Amino acid sequence: MNFLRAAVREVVGLFVGDWLQSVVIVVILAAGWLAVARLGAPAVVLLVLLLAGQMIWFARAEARRARKPA
Amino acid sequence: MGQQFFSFGAAFLGSAVESTEALTIVLAVGLTRGWRAPLLGTVAALVALAVLVILFGQLIVTRIPDSALKLLVGTLLLLFGLRWLHKAVLRSAGVVALHDEQRAYQNTVNQLQRATDWVGFILALKGVFLEGLEVVFIVIAVGGTGRGLPVAVAGGLLAMVVVAITGVVVRRPLARVPENTLKYAVGIILTSLGTFWAAEGMGASWPLDFVSIGGLAVIYFVASRLAVQMIRRPALA
Repeated sequence: MNFLRAAVREVVGLFVGDWLQSVVIVVILAAGWLAVARLGAPAVVLLVLLLAGQMIWFARAEARRARKPA
Repeated sequence: MGQQFFSFGAAFLGSAVESTEALTIVLAVGLTRGWRAPLLGTVAALVALAVLVILFGQLIVTRIPDSALKLLVGTLLLLFGLRWLHKAVLRSAGVVALHDEQRAYQNTVNQLQRATDWVGFILALKGVFLEGLEVVFIVIAVGGTGRGLPVAVAGGLLAMVVVAITGVVVRRPLARVPENTLKYAVGIILTSLGTFWAAEGMGASWPLDFVSIGGLAVIYFVASRLAVQMIRRPALA
């Protein structure tokens, strides 16, 4: 049972480190899906910029949390 | 051809990182308590993983429509790649400690001090299976979408063989493998492939087709270096 739990944790952990960040990525993709059909190429550019931007944002946020004295 | 090259490279590098972690566990068990139990555990785990690749690989490639598959796998690859990239950025900026194979090896050896015989089998099985799950995901995701599963499987297998042979030759944990650099590179490749496929699944078409993956890699690399610089700056002040 412990082994199964560890396997499930491992599989979920492959994709989700920070639940909020994962939700933000999925929301960006969902918005991109809607936008690509209407706007075409500009929506793809925006999609890539938003994905890169959230990466910077969440990395900075985690660094700030890690440096905050307990 | 170019897309298959990306698939092979991503599967090879990603699998090499995970195989190194699995090898550390098997070496710790084997050198501490003998080789029979950990080798049996390793074989059992590899068989289970091969079954997973065959089952899910075939299921994914034959049953799911192309655009849905690209969107689904692209999303999963993005989540996976961005997670590795996120960690690599934090390690590069000195926020998180680098993974230390020597310490991981020592921890496993300490666990084995008072262990009974079957523990060696279970530890090796668990270590190889859990680390191998990541290899399986990388191989299926990278190979399934581009119709290049055989190429991705070859990349994953070659990485496992190279790491295993190196482990047998040096008989100690591969502490010198630049794990963070590899994870950084694989994170960028997987994130780029994920973006490429997710957008194709949404109905977008890329200029120059797969060559755009290179452009995406440059964008994510620049963004990640920017993140490292922004994180480091307060520490220097």
